[in-house]
Amino acid sequence: MPTRLVDALRELSDPQLAALLAARPDLAVPVPADLSALSSRAQSRLSLARALERLDRFTLEILDAVRLAAEPTGATTVGDVVALATSVPEGRVRAALASLRELAIVYGPDTELHVVHSVDELCPPYPAGLGRPAAELDPQVAALAADPGALRRELLAAPPAARAVLDRLAAGPPVGTVREPDSDGPVRWLLDHRLLAPDRIDTVQLPRELGLVLRREVGPLGELHPDPPVPDAPVRSAGSVDSAGAGQVMEVLRLTAALCDALADRPAPVLKSGGLGVRDLRRLAETLACGEGDCALLLEVAAAAALITEADGEVPAWLPTAGYDDWRSLPPAQRWVRLAYAWLELPRQPGLIGTRDDKDKAITPLSGGAARLSAPSLRRAALGVLTELPTGAAPAVDDVVALLSWRSPRRAGRAADATRWALAEAATLGVTGRGALTGYGRELLVEAPDGEPDPLGIEPSPAGPDPAVPLAELLPAPVDTVLLQADLTVVVPGPPEPALAAELELVADVESAGQAAVYRVTTASVRRALDAGLTAADLHTLFARRSSTPVPQALTYLVDDVARRHGGLRVGACSAYLRSEDTALLAQLVADRRLGLLALRQVAPTVLISPFQVHRLLDMLRDAGYAPVAEDAGGVVLAQRPDQPRALARTRPRVPPRELPAQLRSDQLDQVIAALRRGERAARAANRAPNPDVRSTADAITVLREAIATRQRIWVGYVDAHGGNVSRLVRPVSIGAGYLRAADDRTETLHTFSLHRIVSATPAEV
Amino acid sequence: MPEGPLIVQSDKTLLLEVEHPDATACRMAIAPFAELERSPEHIHTYRITPLGLWNARAAGHDAEGVIDALIKFSRYPVPHALLVDIAETMDRYGRLQLLNDPAHGLVLRGLDRAVLVEVSKSKKLAGMLGATVADDTMVVHPSERGRLKQALLKLGWPAEDLAGYVDGEKHQIGLDNTDWQLRAYQVQAADSFWAGGSGVVVLPCGAGKTMVGVAAMAHAQATTLILVTNTVAGRQWKRELVARTTLTEDEIGEYSGERKEIRPVTIATYQVLTARRKGAFTHLDLFGARDWGLIIYDEVHLLPAPIFRFTADLQARRRLGLTATLVREDGREADVFSLIGPKRYDAPWKDIEAQGWIAPAECVEVRVTPTDAERMAYATAEPDERYRFAATVHTKVPVVEALVARHPGEQVLVIGAYLDQLDELAADLEVPVIEGKTTTRERERLFDAFRSGELRVLAVSKVANFSIDLPEAAVAIQVSGTFGSRQEEAQRLGRVLRPKADGRQAHFYTVVTRDTLDAEYAAHRQRFLAEQGYAYTILDADDVLGSAT
Repeated sequence: MPTRLVDALRELSDPQLAALLAARPDLAVPVPADLSALSSRAQSRLSLARALERLDRFTLEILDAVRLAAEPTGATTVGDVVALATSVPEGRVRAALASLRELAIVYGPDTELHVVHSVDELCPPYPAGLGRPAAELDPQVAALAADPGALRRELLAAPPAARAVLDRLAAGPPVGTVREPDSDGPVRWLLDHRLLAPDRIDTVQLPRELGLVLRREVGPLGELHPDPPVPDAPVRSAGSVDSAGAGQVMEVLRLTAALCDALADRPAPVLKSGGLGVRDLRRLAETLACGEGDCALLLEVAAAAALITEADGEVPAWLPTAGYDDWRSLPPAQRWVRLAYAWLELPRQPGLIGTRDDKDKAITPLSGGAARLSAPSLRRAALGVLTELPTGAAPAVDDVVALLSWRSPRRAGRAADATRWALAEAATLGVTGRGALTGYGRELLVEAPDGEPDPLGIEPSPAGPDPAVPLAELLPAPVDTVLLQADLTVVVPGPPEPALAAELELVADVESAGQAAVYRVTTASVRRALDAGLTAADLHTLFARRSSTPVPQALTYLVDDVARRHGGLRVGACSAYLRSEDTALLAQLVADRRLGLLALRQVAPTVLISPFQVHRLLDMLRDAGYAPVAEDAGGVVLAQRPDQPRALARTRPRVPPRELPAQLRSDQLDQVIAALRRGERAARAANRAPNPDVRSTADAITVLREAIATRQRIWVGYVDAHGGNVSRLVRPVSIGAGYLRAADDRTETLHTFSLHRIVSATPAEV
Repeated sequence: MPEGPLIVQSDKTLLLEVEHPDATACRMAIAPFAELERSPEHIHTYRITPLGLWNARAAGHDAEGVIDALIKFSRYPVPHALLVDIAETMDRYGRLQLLNDPAHGLVLRGLDRAVLVEVSKSKKLAGMLGATVADDTMVVHPSERGRLKQALLKLGWPAEDLAGYVDGEKHQIGLDNTDWQLRAYQVQAADSFWAGGSGVVVLPCGAGKTMVGVAAMAHAQATTLILVTNTVAGRQWKRELVARTTLTEDEIGEYSGERKEIRPVTIATYQVLTARRKGAFTHLDLFGARDWGLIIYDEVHLLPAPIFRFTADLQARRRLGLTATLVREDGREADVFSLIGPKRYDAPWKDIEAQGWIAPAECVEVRVTPTDAERMAYATAEPDERYRFAATVHTKVPVVEALVARHPGEQVLVIGAYLDQLDELAADLEVPVIEGKTTTRERERLFDAFRSGELRVLAVSKVANFSIDLPEAAVAIQVSGTFGSRQEEAQRLGRVLRPKADGRQAHFYTVVTRDTLDAEYAAHRQRFLAEQGYAYTILDADDVLGSAT
C-alpha cells in the first residue's frame, strides 16, 4: 500500500509518468536524479503551487472534498469523496479526481486516496470552508454537537441576527473575528448557546457538525461550481468590428511612428533606475495628443518590437533603432503585425505604469518595475476567452474576468487586473474592435504550428496564419496626391505615401493628423524648406506635381515672398577683420601678393576679413610695411607693448611625513589567530563532509531541534534554488514559521533555510 | 472599402470632400453634432467638440446615431477609441437636469446620483446649491441658474435646462407681409430657435439676421429687449421693425447715450448698458424695467463681458443670439453656449450665397511696395508703432484712388482704422468721413445720402464695422484694420455682401504694404475668409495703377 508519494510514483507506468511530467513541466527541469528526488520536488511548495494554479474552481472544490474526507486518518476512498459532492453527477467528480491524480496532487488507489502533504500549507486551513469538528474545539460545544436533536432545537431558537451570523460562517470561512465581546450581541448569544466555539482571543469558529447541518440544502461542500460561467456577449457585425479595429490599427501605426520621431527629435534620457521618466512620458503624450497610459503602452510595444532602445552615449537615452527605418518601409499591415506580436509576447505589464510598487516608488515606462514574466500567459488567457466566442461577440470585461477566475481561481487575484489590462490594450492596439475580436486579431492569436510564432513577424512560417493578409484588405491604400486650398492648407485625403509625407513635412506644418493629414504652409515652413536647400522653383514644381487641383495664387505668392527675402542676410565666421576708411588702401592690400597667405576677402568697400588670428595679421601687415593698429570688439584701440617672457611659478606640493604603523594590540592578534584556526577547521571539515543518507524532512527537523538545544553543529542537506543537493555545516539557532535559522561558524553569518527544502540533517562528528 | 466623402481624424476633426456625390447627404448627417470650422474650396473641416455633441443631445440625437453617421460616410475605418469617446461624451449631457419643482422651486436633479454627488462636492459650485430635498434632487437658488449652468459645463456635466421660461408681458407683434416674405432658411432658423427655447442663430452678414429676430418676436408675442452694438445699428433695427411688422414707431423705444426710452420693444446699446458711474453699472434697471418676454442679442460674438454677467441673471427669459460667427477673439464661446444657449441654426456662407441671398464677392489683396523712405521709417519705428507706420504709408493713397476710379458708378466704401489716414484719403478723394466723433445725426445724414446714391464714395472708420445696412455698397476698400482681427475682416466683407438690385458682383479690396507687419496681419485676417471659401486674388499695386491710367 503506497502511503508515500514516492511509492505511488514507483507504481506509475512510463506513459503515466510522462503525462505527469508533461502536465507539470517544472518537475523535469533540471532532470531529477531518481524517483525520490522527483517525489520531493513534486511535493515542494513552489512546484505544487504552480500545479494548483492550473486547476479550475470545481477541481479545487473536489480537492477540498478529498482533504475533508481524508482528515482523521490521512486517507480516504473515492466513494467517500463522491458522497460528499452530492449535487454533482458522479462522473464529473471522478473526472476531477482523475486530473488531480494525473498531477500527482492526489495519489493512491481508489480505496486509499492520499493528498500530498504540502497542499495543506498552500490551501486555506479549513477545507470546503468547514470548521474543525466540535470535539477539537470545546467540550461543551462537542456535547451539544453530539446530540443532533438538541442542536437542531438550539438552531431554531436562534434570533434572526444570530442566524445571519451562522449563515455567513456556514458559507465559509468558518472563523469570524469578534470586534468587541459585547454581552448583548448575536455572537455572544451564539457562544452562550454553544453554537459557536471560541477559537482564539478574538475569534470564534463554527464547529463542523453545525456547518454541515446549516449546509444540508446545498450539500456538505457548500455550493459547487462544476460549470464555468457563460459570458454575456452581445454580437456585433463582423464588418463593424473589423472596421473599428482597422481604424485603431491605423491610429496605432501613426502614433508609433510619431512616438519614434518625437524620440529622435528629443531623446528621452534613461533614468538611473532604468526606464523613461514621468516628465518625458508626459511630454511624449502631449506631443502625440494621447493619454499617458496609451503612450506608455506604445513605448513598451515599440521597445519590445525593437523600434526604440537605450542608446549608450554620454547621457544614455531612448532613441529609435535602425530597425525603425526598416519597419517604416514595411506595408502598414505588416508593420502592425510586428507590433501586435511584440505586444502578445511582452513579458511586462504596461498597465502597472503610473502605479506605485511595494516600496511606494512610481513605476515608470520601460523600467524593471513593470516586468512580469507571467504577463504573456495571462494576456493569452484573456484573449483566449474572446477566441472561444463566436465572431463579433463582445463580452463584458467583468464576465471575462469571472470566467478566468473560475478557470484558475488561485491566480484570480493577479489575473483580474491583467485581464482588464489585456482587453484594454487589445482595444487600444486594434486587436479588438467595439469589444469583439477582429478577424485578423483571431489569426494573430492562432499559435503557429511549431508553437512559436515568429517574434518578428517578417517571415511568418508558410503554414502558419498571417494576420497581415486579412488586415491589409481593411487598410486604405496610401495616397500620393494632395489638395491645395486657398487658406494655405494642404490636405492629403488618406494615409500619405512615405515619400509624400517626407516632402510635406519639409514644406508644411502638420495641423491635423489621423487617417488623412492636413498640413498648413506658413512663412516659417517655407523658410524651413528653403533653408534645407530647396529653391522657390523647386517648391512650385513640388506643389504643382503633387496637387490634384490648381495651385492657389495665395500659395504661389507666399512661396515667392518668402523666397525673395530668404538669404537677404548672410552669416559667416572669420577670425579677424581689417577696416579702413581708405578704400584705396584696402584695394591695395587685396592686391598685395605678399599678403596672399592671409586669404583676405572684401565683404564691403571698407572691410576685409581673414580666417587668421589678429596677431598673425598684425605681424604680416607690419612685415609688409603697413601700419595697422589692433582694436577690441568695441572698436577701442589696443596699445601693445612688448612683453618679456616669464615662466609661471610652479609650487611643489608638500609631502607629509609618513607615520609608522602602530603596534597591534594583543586582543586584535587573538582575533586574527582565531579566525585562522576557524578557517583551518572548516576546511578540514569540508573534506570529510558526510554523505547524507536520504531522510525525510520530519526526521531532519527532529535532529535540528535537538541540535538547537545542544548547540551542536549539523550537516544540513537541502535542495537549493536550482534543484541541486547541497550540504552545509552550521549551528542551528532556531526553527519557526517554516524556516530554520542557523549560524555558519566559518563565515560568521546567519543563514535561513526553508524547512521544506531541507532533505537531511546529520550531526557532525566532533 | 466604402468610398465615403468623410475622413475622420484622430483629433476629432472631420474632413468633408465637397465634390463627392454624397457630400450633401453627409453634411446633413453630421451638421447636428459637428461644427463647421473651415470651408475652403475642396475640403470642408468640421470639428466634433463636447459642446457640439451636447448640442446634438439637446436636439434629441443619440450617440448611436452619431456613430452610425460617421461610420456610414467615413472613407476609412473609424478608430474604435474615437467612437468610445463620442459615446462617453454624449452620455454626460442631461445626467443633470434643472427643473421647476412644484414644492421646492428650481431644483437640480441627477438622473445618475453619483454625478450629482460628484458635482455637489465641487468647490466651483459652492453657494449655488441648497438643501438636498431628495436622494437625487437639490434645491438651486434661482439667482444662480446661469452661473450654475456655466459651472456645470466647466465640470463637463452640462445640465439640461428644463425649468422653462416666463412668458413675459404680452404684446401683439405681427409680421407685415404685404411686400416681402421670410426666406425659407430664416423661417427654419426662427422655428428651431423657438423650439429650443433659447440659443444662437448663426447666419452670414447680409443673410437677414434681423429678419430672424423679427420672426422670433412674432413667435413670442411679448415685450422684447433688443441689445445692439451701437446707436446707428439700433436705428436700423427700428426702421426694419416699423417696415416689417405691425409695430408702430411709438411702440419702439431707443435706449442709448442720447435717449432713454423704455417701450414695449426697446433697443439698447451694449455701450450704454456697460457704462459705469463710480464703478457701478448705472443702467442695469433696464433689465427689470419691464417683464421682458424675449431678449435679442445682436452680434453676439461682440457681447461685452459685463453683459454675460447680467445675462446669467436672466436665465428665466427667452434669449436669442444673432451672429455671423461664433468665433470670439476672447475665446468665450462656452459662455455663449451656457448663458445664451446652444447654437440653434447654422448655414455655411457659401451655401447661402449659392441660394442667391448674398452677393457674390471678389476679394482682392493689392500689394503696394513702400518707398525706401517709408521702409526706413518702418524699420526704425518703435514696435508698438510699426503697424501704424506700415498700414498708413502714403503710397496707398494713389492705389485707393485708382481702385475708386476702377469702379465708376458704383457705391464705394473706404474703410480704415487710422483717422489721419482716412482724413488724408478723404481730402484726396474729396469725400466725407464718418468716424467716432461724427454725431449720430450727421452719420445718419451721410448714410442716407450714400444709400440714396447721392454720395458715391464714403470713408468710414471702424464705427461702421457692424450692423449698418448699406445695401448698395458694392465695393469696399480696406486700407487698415485692427491688427489681425479675423471677425473685423468678416464684418467688413459683410458690408458689401447685401444682395444688389441688379445682382452685380461685389468687390472687396484690401490694400496692404508689402513685406511689413501690415501684410502679416492681413494674412491672418484673410485666413478666416479663405476658410469660408473666399479665395483672395493678389494684385500688384503697379497693375492697379497701370490699368487705371
